[in-house]
Amino acid sequence: MSHREIVSTLRRLISEIRYISSEKKLHDSLLVKYIMMQFHKYKETDQQLCKAQEEMKFLALSYLCYLQSQRRFEEIHNQYHAKGERSVKETADMVGFKLPKDPK
Amino acid sequence: MILNIFADILPKCLAFNRATGNFNKKLCYQILLIPNRHYAALKRFYRRTGILNSDGKFEITLDQRKLKTPKGNPFIINSEPLALAVAAEWDAQKEKIWQSSMHLTALCSTAIDNPNNLTKSDLVQHIMSYLDTDTVLFQSSEADELYELQIQEWEPILKWFCKRYDVKLEAARDISGPTISHETKNVLTKHLSSFNFWAVHGFSFGVEALKSVILTLCCTDRHISVEKAVLLSCLEEEFQSGHWGRVEWAHDLNQQEMQARLAAAVLFIQLNSSSTFVQSKQQCVAA
Repeated sequence: MSHREIVSTLRRLISEIRYISSEKKLHDSLLVKYIMMQFHKYKETDQQLCKAQEEMKFLALSYLCYLQSQRRFEEIHNQYHAKGERSVKETADMVGFKLPKDPK
Repeated sequence: MILNIFADILPKCLAFNRATGNFNKKLCYQILLIPNRHYAALKRFYRRTGILNSDGKFEITLDQRKLKTPKGNPFIINSEPLALAVAAEWDAQKEKIWQSSMHLTALCSTAIDNPNNLTKSDLVQHIMSYLDTDTVLFQSSEADELYELQIQEWEPILKWFCKRYDVKLEAARDISGPTISHETKNVLTKHLSSFNFWAVHGFSFGVEALKSVILTLCCTDRHISVEKAVLLSCLEEEFQSGHWGRVEWAHDLNQQEMQARLAAAVLFIQLNSSSTFVQSKQQCVAA
């Protein structure tokens, strides 16, 4: 894997984490910090054939696949899944009725 | 009326109790008496997720509360990146909590709880039983396009696998299936048994997702990527849908789910096996 591929994997990972994280600043996220630390650590052994570097690359790709697949699964599911029955309030609104507890 | 209100609050209390382990048995008994109509509507009850480090073991926190397994055991993980990934799973839940999509959490919980009281050899035998009906060993009996595709895609994988594990495996073209020698089974059983208990859970999950031992082992040995393994596992389905058309809410949905499951399995195996991930202070040793 070339340097460009590694950078592209990292970029895609960060963008996936942005979707799922509830943190306002991505810098503060523990997961992002750990990933950046691992990438820096294994970048230095670029020239040698390092088994751990291969493992890290594969792990990064697998985690990227995991996050992407989960997100796409949810998107497809939400798009096609039935919404269920209407609630009592929605049905009442449809015909212009008010529920007993609503203010007049 | 009171019944309705109770049925609204109860699932939230139950889920909250279950997740944080405060199991009040009296409350539980009352819950069972009242019909619960809101099973799927478990809402997110925490704002932030984090991890705690105690003596090299990690736990997950939802706000200040510690996560527990369904049986009530403490949710302790040995590997830091795995703990971070589990915390990220919980963080990814938006309004509703979809426990069925949190594969890493489920794998960890199963490994900790061991609800069926399985030993490692039970699990390995269960995995090996999938070898007799391995997807890659069943090839089309007619000389058609599908058979050519199978030869093109599966043969290199089989060759690599046989060379890597020093076994002999041949595909079968009829319905009676492939014959697998005892030596092959012994070699693979030994290989699987060399992993620890947690990693074998990961293997079991992956094999059940792909219905193929060969493809799972090729993936965990980093010979093929997760996406490629899923495509190879569903080769006939891909071939047919290429001919007859693809239905997004079935084919794509299944593909994404299988990818998520296999990716979770691969992550779980790797993060529980390599010593670099269990103790984060160790340095990488150049080969």
